[in-house]
Amino acid sequence: MKHVIRLHVNGEEFEIFTGVHKTLLEVLREDLGLIGTKKGCDLGGCGACTVIIDGKPHLSCLTLAIDAQGKKITTIEGLSQDGTLHPLQRAFVEKGAIQCGFCTPGMVLTAKAFLDEHPEPSEEEVRKAISGNLCRCTGYVKIMEAIRSVVEKQEKL
Amino acid sequence: MHLPEFEYVEPKSLKEAAKALASDPKGSVLLAGGTDLLVNMKHRLMEPRRLINLKSIPKMAYIESGKDGMRIGVLTTLHEVSSSPLIRDQYPALCQAAQEVGAYSHQVMGTVGGNLCQGNRCRYYNQSAFWRNARGICYKAGGEICHVVRKPGECHSTYCGDLAPVLIALEADVKVMGPEGERRFPLKKIFKQDGKKPLYFKKGEILKEILLPHPLGQSLYLKWRLRGSIEFPIVSLALHLNLEDNNRMEQGRIVFSGVGPGPVEAFETEKKLKGASLDADLIEEMSDQVAKEITPMRTSIYSPAYKRKIAGVLLRKSLLQMM
Repeated sequence: MKHVIRLHVNGEEFEIFTGVHKTLLEVLREDLGLIGTKKGCDLGGCGACTVIIDGKPHLSCLTLAIDAQGKKITTIEGLSQDGTLHPLQRAFVEKGAIQCGFCTPGMVLTAKAFLDEHPEPSEEEVRKAISGNLCRCTGYVKIMEAIRSVVEKQEKL
Repeated sequence: MHLPEFEYVEPKSLKEAAKALASDPKGSVLLAGGTDLLVNMKHRLMEPRRLINLKSIPKMAYIESGKDGMRIGVLTTLHEVSSSPLIRDQYPALCQAAQEVGAYSHQVMGTVGGNLCQGNRCRYYNQSAFWRNARGICYKAGGEICHVVRKPGECHSTYCGDLAPVLIALEADVKVMGPEGERRFPLKKIFKQDGKKPLYFKKGEILKEILLPHPLGQSLYLKWRLRGSIEFPIVSLALHLNLEDNNRMEQGRIVFSGVGPGPVEAFETEKKLKGASLDADLIEEMSDQVAKEITPMRTSIYSPAYKRKIAGVLLRKSLLQMM
């Protein structure tokens, strides 16, 4: 069963003719070429496929593309503004929070959605928020440093 | 892993969804948050002809407080439950349980109804088709033998929901919509204590809302698990106590998850709690009593003896917190 699906991704409208059984992850990567969203376990256990839908982190591997119609989707490609990195992206680079980079898009987007909701979280709350995003390089210390540095900068502002 | 193909339906009302479900109950599945269903479909544990997306129905997500208590729409997400000040104040155990499910994104996507109706779990069942075929499929997946006990006709999959024990301890009712209309009954009646088919609904019935009576006393949820996140409970406990001024217990409800094919209530221990005075001696006695009473089912991972011990530990911890 195929269907025309209209998606609003990173501020742009897309119209795709695809199967109703296609996940948002498959459509983002295969139809729209947005390969920044990673396919990890594909079963909702690793967080690599996280995208932001209407301000909240969603696992795109467990979201039907057809079900994401009419919602505002942000992938890692849509986070920088006019060539300027988002503060979280910059912090990840500056603090060396990227090793192989596979978990990074999911980590950054989960952290962004969380900080938008909780601007002044405790260390424990941040740990809990990113606990669904696995880093197989086990670089969690640097990732926490990067997120904390953004929280501290926000507090100073 | 791709999803199998299916016909996709977006009903505009719950009645329409119930009729669609009743017209082909075996070939249809209901989509809420998708965090359980779509994984099972990717594993080819389910290959439905038709998928009915309940999220197309308006006004299914709400938390409303009224004169009879609280009403929660089944498509309310776990994140909405845990961030609701109303629920945090009146039913803290429900807030705790919602925060214990999966991780942040699972809570954003997962719904109250989906969490209650999640499938029972087993190491031999929740695997890819490739993995399962290596051993021969188990009884729950359509084979002959349960690999846990190596017997035919039995299923030892475990109910691992976090919300159900709390809602049962709080004496919640559910409202369901069927093709013939609505009916209301206690939540615990949807659990058949049968691993192969854990839930009981009449043909075409769909959960509509959860009804909670006004809170009496205190409630608490404790979850024992292997790691701090994305984990189902090894054993979890919901405790609801109504303490009188003199520290005597008017009523207590103790419900476990992770120990049987459905949520398990410790009726004998509840009887002994009633009217007793909450002190250190009683806590020791009740923790021993509940460990004796609970008879955890043999499952694919942890031994019944271990779960029995943990059940006692959890009750001791929770009673101490309430003292």
